[in-house]
Amino acid sequence: MQCRQTVASVVVAVVLVGTVFAAAETRKEFHFKVHRRASVSLVNQYGPITVKPSSGKVVSVTAILNSDKVEVENSHRGNRISVVSHLLSGADNDSGRVEYQVLVPADSNVTLHSGTGPLHAEHLTGDVILESNTANIDVRDLSGGHVHIKTLSGPVTLTNVSDGHVEITSVGGDVAMKGVNGPLVHVNSTSGRILYDGDFGGGGEYALMTHTGDIQATAPSYASIDVEATSTQGKVENDFTLQPSHSLAARIGSGFAGTMGQAASSVKLLSFSGRIHLKKR
Amino acid sequence: MTCEEFERVLPELEGDHNLEQHEHVKSCPLCFDLVSDLNAISQEAHWIGHGQDPSPRVWNSIENLLRQEGLIRDPQPQLVLVPPKAAGWRFAWLMPITAALFFGAGLILIHQRVPVQRASTPVVAANQPIQPGAPADAEEGQLLKLVASRAPAMRTAYESNLRAVDAYIHDAEVSVHNNPNDENAQQYLMNAYEQRAMVYEMAMDRSIQ
Repeated sequence: MQCRQTVASVVVAVVLVGTVFAAAETRKEFHFKVHRRASVSLVNQYGPITVKPSSGKVVSVTAILNSDKVEVENSHRGNRISVVSHLLSGADNDSGRVEYQVLVPADSNVTLHSGTGPLHAEHLTGDVILESNTANIDVRDLSGGHVHIKTLSGPVTLTNVSDGHVEITSVGGDVAMKGVNGPLVHVNSTSGRILYDGDFGGGGEYALMTHTGDIQATAPSYASIDVEATSTQGKVENDFTLQPSHSLAARIGSGFAGTMGQAASSVKLLSFSGRIHLKKR
Repeated sequence: MTCEEFERVLPELEGDHNLEQHEHVKSCPLCFDLVSDLNAISQEAHWIGHGQDPSPRVWNSIENLLRQEGLIRDPQPQLVLVPPKAAGWRFAWLMPITAALFFGAGLILIHQRVPVQRASTPVVAANQPIQPGAPADAEEGQLLKLVASRAPAMRTAYESNLRAVDAYIHDAEVSVHNNPNDENAQQYLMNAYEQRAMVYEMAMDRSIQ
């Protein structure tokens, strides 16, 4: 009797240990030598991707796989690197999860596709393209490169992005920008809110447009802008004294337009039925 | 001085060059050759004097030859469709009156038509609700089926996003219809279609399904 109990305990222990091993994470590392302005592309359905600058001309990818239901495929052709998470049969958002930590030369052009994310990129000077269904997208300290972001409903945050084109298309995700300046900043949202906190600098063209989402733009008193704000059905508020100041009530909906300072940058705040507020910092 | 500048002023020089032009001609072989050719032509043309025009006998023989070839003919009497002004002009004063009558009739017809046209295109109210529970169209239904087959968990999200975008397109189209010259209305419509294109593109992107 005691012998049977001992055997049963051993069997259970063996089964448990085997289960643990099967569920253990797998860590894989890849290193690629590249030249200047390499193209790096990552596709990951489930799990975060973080991209930071490396020292030297090497792309380093660390992938932590949650299970054996997902595998990582990579290719290196010339100056182009591609890494893809390939889901196997039976994978779900837990077993198919892969966490990526990527180091790239700062001048690399980076493209990230993700289903759930989150996606993070920082301190890069090349072009950055981020596409996601619902992932949190966080981009900070980019300069000189173009930033293109597409999301269905994931929130987007940009911090200290300058000297490049910024184009964001979001259906329902909120877009928050702090310290974002450049020759072109275009945000197109259906129902997501747009929050801008910056000085509209760089002599650029800024267009923040929504269907039903609210727009709140916060600028300093020394901002140099030529601003037009119009909401077809929503409310429009302005904390600044504009020159010349006139109401756009004669047009469709309500709005205001005018200039501040030297009117170096063009600012358009358009919403079909959302509320627009140009706030003074 | 460049060659382009020199060629531009060359017709006005008549053989006289200032210091700058002279220096350019000396240093540029192309312009030097050009000036040399022009001077040569000018010298040859000088020898064609006033006393060298052909005699009238020569002109007559050329004319006869051209008539024999049929290249020149005597002018034929022309058929006149509009008779010269004679009796008809006694009623010329009727023409402006007739024109005015036609013009007035045309104006009346146009005014009668415009209210009919306006009535047929009434102002459409914005924010008309989309029927709940019905896919926007067959195309979107196909797209949602595709999404469901690849990533069932995402179907609901795509459907709600498509509805939001369809509402955007609807409102933007109404706005453009009511205010066709409004640039902002046009911008809304472009934005709305851009949103829709993005949703379709992401739904069909196999790489993240």
